[in-house]
Amino acid sequence: MQFRHAVYEKSGKIISLFFCLLCLSDRLPCHAGTTGQQIYLQQCATCHGEKGEGDTGECPDPLVGDLTLTDLIHFISESMPEDTPEHCVGPEAEKVARYIYANFYSPLAQARIAPARVRLSRLTVRQIENTLADLARSFTAPDESTYATRKGPLELRGSRGLQGDYYQSHNFQTDQRAFQRRDTTIDFDFGTTRPVAQKGHPVAQKGRPVAEKADGEVRSSDAKADPSEQKAPPNEEAKEKEVETNFSIRWQGSVFAAATGTYEFLLETPNGAKLWVNDHQVPLIDAWVASGDTTEHRAVIRLLGGRFYPLRIDLFKHKEKNASIRLKWLPPHKTEEVIPEHVLQPDLVAPTLVTRTPFPPDDRSTGYVRAHRISQAWDEATTYTALEVARRIVDHLATYTSLPQEEVEREARLRQFCTTFAHRAFRRPLSKQQVAFYIDRTFEDTQYLELAVKKIVLIVLKSPHFLYREVGFKPSAANLTDATDHFDAYDVASWLAFSLWDSLPDEPLLQAAATGQLESREQISEQAARMLTDRRAKAKLYDFLLQWLKLDQSVEIIKDPQQYPQFSVKVAADLRTSLGLLLEEAAWSETSDYRQLLLSNSFYANGRLARYYGLDLPIDASFQRIPDPAGQRVGLLSHPYLLARYAYANTSSPIHRGVLIARSLLGRRLMPPPMAVEPLPPELHTGLSTRQRVALQTKPPACQTCHMLINPLGFTLENFDAVGRFRDNEEGRPVDTAGSYVTTDGEKFQFWSVAELATFLAGSEDAHLAFVEGLFQFMINQPVAAFGDDTLRVLQQSFADNGYDIQALLAEIAATSVWRVRSLEQQKE
Amino acid sequence: MRATDQDIAPTHRHDNRREFMRRDFLRRLGLSAGALPFVGNLSSLGFAGSTQETTARKQRLIILFSPNGVVPTNFWPDEEGELTQFKPSLSPLEPFRDRTLTLHGLCDKIRGDGDNHMRGIGCLLTGIELFPGNIQGGAKTPAGWSSGNSIDQEIRTYLQNNPQTRTRFGSLEFGVVVPNKANTWTRMVYTGPNRPLTPIDDPYQMFQKLYGQFKDRELLASVLDVVQEDLQKLSTQISNDDRQLLDEHVTFVREAEQQLQAFDQEQSLHEVPELEPGVRDENSNMPKISKMQIDLLVDSFRADFTRIATLQYTNSVGQARMKWLGIDEGHHGLSHEGDDNQDAQDKLTRINHWYCEQLAYLAERLDATPEPGGDGSMLDNTLIVWTNELGKGNTHTLRNIPFVLVGGGLNFKMGRALKYPEVAHNRFLLSLAHAMGHPIESFGNPDYCGDGPLTGLS
Repeated sequence: MQFRHAVYEKSGKIISLFFCLLCLSDRLPCHAGTTGQQIYLQQCATCHGEKGEGDTGECPDPLVGDLTLTDLIHFISESMPEDTPEHCVGPEAEKVARYIYANFYSPLAQARIAPARVRLSRLTVRQIENTLADLARSFTAPDESTYATRKGPLELRGSRGLQGDYYQSHNFQTDQRAFQRRDTTIDFDFGTTRPVAQKGHPVAQKGRPVAEKADGEVRSSDAKADPSEQKAPPNEEAKEKEVETNFSIRWQGSVFAAATGTYEFLLETPNGAKLWVNDHQVPLIDAWVASGDTTEHRAVIRLLGGRFYPLRIDLFKHKEKNASIRLKWLPPHKTEEVIPEHVLQPDLVAPTLVTRTPFPPDDRSTGYVRAHRISQAWDEATTYTALEVARRIVDHLATYTSLPQEEVEREARLRQFCTTFAHRAFRRPLSKQQVAFYIDRTFEDTQYLELAVKKIVLIVLKSPHFLYREVGFKPSAANLTDATDHFDAYDVASWLAFSLWDSLPDEPLLQAAATGQLESREQISEQAARMLTDRRAKAKLYDFLLQWLKLDQSVEIIKDPQQYPQFSVKVAADLRTSLGLLLEEAAWSETSDYRQLLLSNSFYANGRLARYYGLDLPIDASFQRIPDPAGQRVGLLSHPYLLARYAYANTSSPIHRGVLIARSLLGRRLMPPPMAVEPLPPELHTGLSTRQRVALQTKPPACQTCHMLINPLGFTLENFDAVGRFRDNEEGRPVDTAGSYVTTDGEKFQFWSVAELATFLAGSEDAHLAFVEGLFQFMINQPVAAFGDDTLRVLQQSFADNGYDIQALLAEIAATSVWRVRSLEQQKE
Repeated sequence: MRATDQDIAPTHRHDNRREFMRRDFLRRLGLSAGALPFVGNLSSLGFAGSTQETTARKQRLIILFSPNGVVPTNFWPDEEGELTQFKPSLSPLEPFRDRTLTLHGLCDKIRGDGDNHMRGIGCLLTGIELFPGNIQGGAKTPAGWSSGNSIDQEIRTYLQNNPQTRTRFGSLEFGVVVPNKANTWTRMVYTGPNRPLTPIDDPYQMFQKLYGQFKDRELLASVLDVVQEDLQKLSTQISNDDRQLLDEHVTFVREAEQQLQAFDQEQSLHEVPELEPGVRDENSNMPKISKMQIDLLVDSFRADFTRIATLQYTNSVGQARMKWLGIDEGHHGLSHEGDDNQDAQDKLTRINHWYCEQLAYLAERLDATPEPGGDGSMLDNTLIVWTNELGKGNTHTLRNIPFVLVGGGLNFKMGRALKYPEVAHNRFLLSLAHAMGHPIESFGNPDYCGDGPLTGLS
């Protein structure tokens, strides 16, 4: 929150410290003498109840209202207690009024003490975007199983790349195709000659055909492709020579976008080329005409994370002397790079609808996304989004409906399309009345069929049945369809889909709901388990882990160039990839285990990281798992990305590291520091280590309330400097890594190394509860307490029983929450 | 709304419903600086209609392009001086004879990379060489894009820099059946070196650009009742604890509707035209698309969205097949036939006659539209320049490039046929800038601007 971003100001100077206060459950100001509470209990509670709940014979109504504090003081002073108002006047009246106001009278107090409940919520921004994308896909690419995950991280799956078709003409003539092969990256300098299929040819290529299978990938006809075998008649030699250097290449496949955001694509070539991304028709970059000295072409596109997008490049060389091409990108959180092979695959997928309308960000004031409030800006954003989608569908009606313009049954077929559209958007079949209301009426009122379709898409996407989630309805009003229970099987299907995918239910889920296969707890668990094999579940978990570690906001990691001259944006981007691989290993592998997040001795590095962190790898090595030879690194706490991010430009920051552990891992509540403070500058305290400076600055008792918890956790990581490299001394002084933690029950633990701290955390019940609660709220967007007091404990127990399997926890949270919310909703009167 | 649009609607049904819809559409939604941000980027719309009394006369320029040269004997008037009669290709201009000016003898003298078709279109409005590049035509050397901006964009920048003449778009680039390929043959307008502009040849896309926000509002207004009803129905089914949220939502939708009604009550400044839906972008629909684009162009002028427009039919070497004239061959193919092929000459004459009909329709629409807030008709304040990338198709000559001018916008003396002794067309481009109030010394390659603007135009 506020305290974090300030650290990374490029100046590295302005930062805040943590004069934190532990969140105290008792908010009362303590006065000497009689307190407001005592007065209340003496004089008021008999009638109003101990907590102002009323319900006594004297006073049935609860003591709540909207008088201002001043008015309340005045009122009590003048009129209370009813028979003897003179018993409570002046300072006493004020004390008791303040007590009443703060503890239950005011709307704020009411909100604070209201029992947690599952509230009617709209779709979150993420849910709307994914739902629209998948809703559109259900028409344009119904058979494509883009979401089935393959095991293992993309980065380590070996060479993937794009399929390349090479032609011996400048215009992709089918009969001129020379060969086909897979290329790992698009980064070629062909020089003045044509590319040839085999390895070991004279063409300089930085990109390379897929290594392990190159021979298999290259077709048998390739031998004929070698132009040297084609003898031209002597008199046409000159012409033939010129023609020989013409060629064209078409690369096709798809590209994986890990994060949601804006991607910039760069195409560098002196030749003619086009690039298509997420659109088969309109190129993102049209550089077909090479002209003058322009060789770099850029364009941006917004993509949703966790999905593959179709990508195609056409390149041709005609009379230019040289040919080369390089395809780069700048993804969110990363640096500009040649698109790496692990995000490319040769299979072409269908485009995804990505809406452009920006939504106001969801409320995260309680630490996780909740969606029980709306605003005018949100309503407008839903309107623009609906218009955007409506226009898109009508502009590509043939694609969405598979209807030829000349179709005789056009109107009937379009009505059918609209009904299906509404059915999928509402996540349940339409009742007869709904078909009449949404579909038939609009068709009857509208002159042009296309316009009717447009209106219906608009109405459906503006409908509360689309925009709101499945709780909050009166039992008597459950009949969204003609005859169903309150919170019926379709609601169960939606709940599971939004919990696990942030998207709408797929066909198998709707089928299960329709056929009574989503009733028992076992059936629900089976579906949840099935849904884990979907890429969207993995994407959601990955996003949770980033948020859990407070890494979801893009922050540039800048280090003092004098002190860390080799630390570059590239190293920082590689570190982020490396951390991602560690998270994936621990969370999404066959042996998914929360404890491995903390205890794994894996470190993933490519050549660049290996060189920087002193490991043994060739400089051009791609990412791979290497055990830490010195045994200095244990789990994510010692991952250099976290360590470098939670550090200053030139020194480590035990405070930031300690706050991360206390808040994220142990679930401790810390208030933000009451004021921003610059850290003591090292150059003014040359005799002190970082640890000593921190201790000195946070010595005042006011600071110690929080820092007695924060500092000893952060100190344990003092073995790692501002870029996360291991050290046993700081400028000649031995590093002191002694640390400790006192649990909420008062039990004290001591650690002397990151390994001991990690072991403690891996076994800590507090840490398990914090992880379960964090994941629950990320998935469900509702307070966990609303699902029953024991929910957290039950989930934590099952987490332990399942060997801390994170994937199983995901399924368990989805199934448990839906099971409980269904019974809560069905009990409503 | 024009009756003709409805008459050819492919999917409209019962007449009574048509009447219903007509009223629906007539509930035009006006403009206002109001709360719905549909109008967010329409700031310059305030110009239109409100301040004509005090502003200077509006001058407008349209450049209309058709490809592949002409049949000179059936095109150019024989005599210099007063226009007394037209040759067959120009006969559709008869109603505007006194407002027409033909300029014979202008030559595209730009040389360098690229073939004549490429330089013909690429240097036509830029007056400067093409960059070397990778697009190979019929010449030895391939070429890229133009190395300078085009005259319409030069004038656009000038107008946009002056608050008195600034408009919402500055310029609009219309096309009719332009192939969906960006190359030297398909681009005429350049904002700068290597910066070609894509003409919009899809009337629906142009409509979206011009009126998308208006139409969105209209569409929204037509569904808000249903949306509200939907919400209110559901609101009664919500438990008390959560009712507030939906009630709030109902309020937002009601406010949106009230804003729309407020627009409705203000008198609309811009009639939003209606397009027949479903006309596909293909050769056989060329007459329909041409008419739709011209109508949109005139509408955009009337609303003062722009004062500069280009209208590009197909492209240089364009292969329009005018089957509606009984001509099955492609235009470019025909243009290569020799002068002795009478059939081809006849067909080419009729093709240019058809293009001239489009010009005449444009002139007619402008003539029939009173100048908003000013005197006379819009044609009195608009100059249309009809031009071509070649003088003659079968020789690929860049001499005697057709320049046929209609309208009074630039104060040229009309009703004449002028003949120049092989002057560089750069000088005519200069004349356009000067007559629009932008007296630049040279344009394009300065070597061809030596004698300044053309003499004898006004």
